[in-house]
Amino acid sequence: MLAQLLVSGVSQGALYALVALAMTVIYRATTVINFGHGDLVMAGAFVVYLLVVLAGAPFLISALLAVVLLFAFGVAVYKGLIRPIMAGPHLALAMMAVAVGYALRGLARVVWGREVLPFPKVLPQGTFMVGPVILAPSDLIVTGSVIATVAILAIVFYATRLGKTAQAVFQSERGAALVGINVSAFQGTMWGIGAAMAALGGILIAPVTLLYPDLAASTLIRAFAAMTLGGFGSFLGAAVGGMLLGLSELLVGAYISSKLIDITAYLIIIGVLLIRPSGLFGRQAVVRV
Amino acid sequence: MADELLIAEKIEAGYPGKQILFGVDFSVRKGEVVVLLGANGSGKSTVLNAVSGFIKPFGGRMLFNGQNIAGLPSHQIFRHGIAQVSQARDLFPDMSVEDNLTLGASQRGAAKAAESRTAVYRDFPRLGERRGQIVRTMSGGEQQMVAIARALMSGPLLLLLDEPSGGLAPKFVDEIAQIMARLKQGGITILMVEQNIKLAFDTADRFLVLKDGTVAERGDVGQGVSQEEIVRTIYL
Repeated sequence: MLAQLLVSGVSQGALYALVALAMTVIYRATTVINFGHGDLVMAGAFVVYLLVVLAGAPFLISALLAVVLLFAFGVAVYKGLIRPIMAGPHLALAMMAVAVGYALRGLARVVWGREVLPFPKVLPQGTFMVGPVILAPSDLIVTGSVIATVAILAIVFYATRLGKTAQAVFQSERGAALVGINVSAFQGTMWGIGAAMAALGGILIAPVTLLYPDLAASTLIRAFAAMTLGGFGSFLGAAVGGMLLGLSELLVGAYISSKLIDITAYLIIIGVLLIRPSGLFGRQAVVRV
Repeated sequence: MADELLIAEKIEAGYPGKQILFGVDFSVRKGEVVVLLGANGSGKSTVLNAVSGFIKPFGGRMLFNGQNIAGLPSHQIFRHGIAQVSQARDLFPDMSVEDNLTLGASQRGAAKAAESRTAVYRDFPRLGERRGQIVRTMSGGEQQMVAIARALMSGPLLLLLDEPSGGLAPKFVDEIAQIMARLKQGGITILMVEQNIKLAFDTADRFLVLKDGTVAERGDVGQGVSQEEIVRTIYL
């Protein structure tokens, strides 16, 4: 049973990790924690739903369009709503992110109410056995996507010029501007990439959770817990934090009480902030004030 | 005039709700060092920030090599050949000396960056010895050297220095003075803000005294202007 729990926990945690990674991209570009990110995940899933179910478009093209559309939306949010208040208090940026998220959620509620919709079955169905453990191909695809994403982000951020630029902007925006970096364009692109990753997350999450406007609430808090556990700003931390959270939820549910599953993320946030505020792989946070 | 690299004409600038500069005029010729003097709040740093694009002037013209650069964003002004060393240095604290320097030349291509790095390590041997050191672990004086070296990596036509000796121990002030002398000998055009009048006058060709956002006095260094007179103009 333990082996099954571990495998299922990692698979569940991979979904949280994917969302946490996208939030980390935005955090590293602008030191803003996008509290509206869960709603971008929801929006990405709904775009695919609209295209596939209502317009009859092929899934892969719909997914690609959703990623492109969310990229453009992320850039537009940064340029239109975040950039103009970047010089203001950090709290204002956080509230703007929350407002964008609630606006998206509200829009979805206007159209679909609290209806729970089935998401197109896009990943291979069924299961197979490896020893005593039941595996689903969809779990392997999601976990593989997360590992690939971490690898790509690690290469881009630590071994390329773009990565050095990202580190420079993260450590000192003004310093980056002093060496000729177009900080505004860079941050806009990073918001776009973060939002595009949110769409990818939505496409992978919605088949598991089904699709509904409030899909975001549980996703956001779990991704936030993953970032807290792994350490803010660390890609490895976001991935490992997400996996550990997924594992914790299943182990707590199996060995203590299933009623605790929904509060595991909150307990982890409280525990990490009290014991090791910088998380497993994080450094002391650099926060704009 | 043909040898004027930068001409500021009637610059009006400041921050939302607070105008700092009121019609400031000055010029910087190729190869010379001009120092801006003045009390705290007189507008010295605002002048540098208006030149480098961190503040958008709301009046006047800023001609660089004959082209009006007033209002351009800072990254575009940087590409015209203006590099700034800010008062806070604004280094990348968790990166090595080498990474900081390389980013300084990030708009120039790998070959020119390598060339600049060799030249900088020759002129700043201490940085060469510490190229792998993380910048936040260095002393204030060493960080100031990194900041100046990073600005030089771009091969600037005009170097803006905001209080290069500010907050440094006397030992490092002497070292900064030597660096300034070397830069001047190398023919680099400099517009700087400096509170240390001795250091400023040892290096500069001309000076401007700013008072309440206007130019109160200007002149050539070494033409009978006493430092005491300047101090009186600044503070009285």
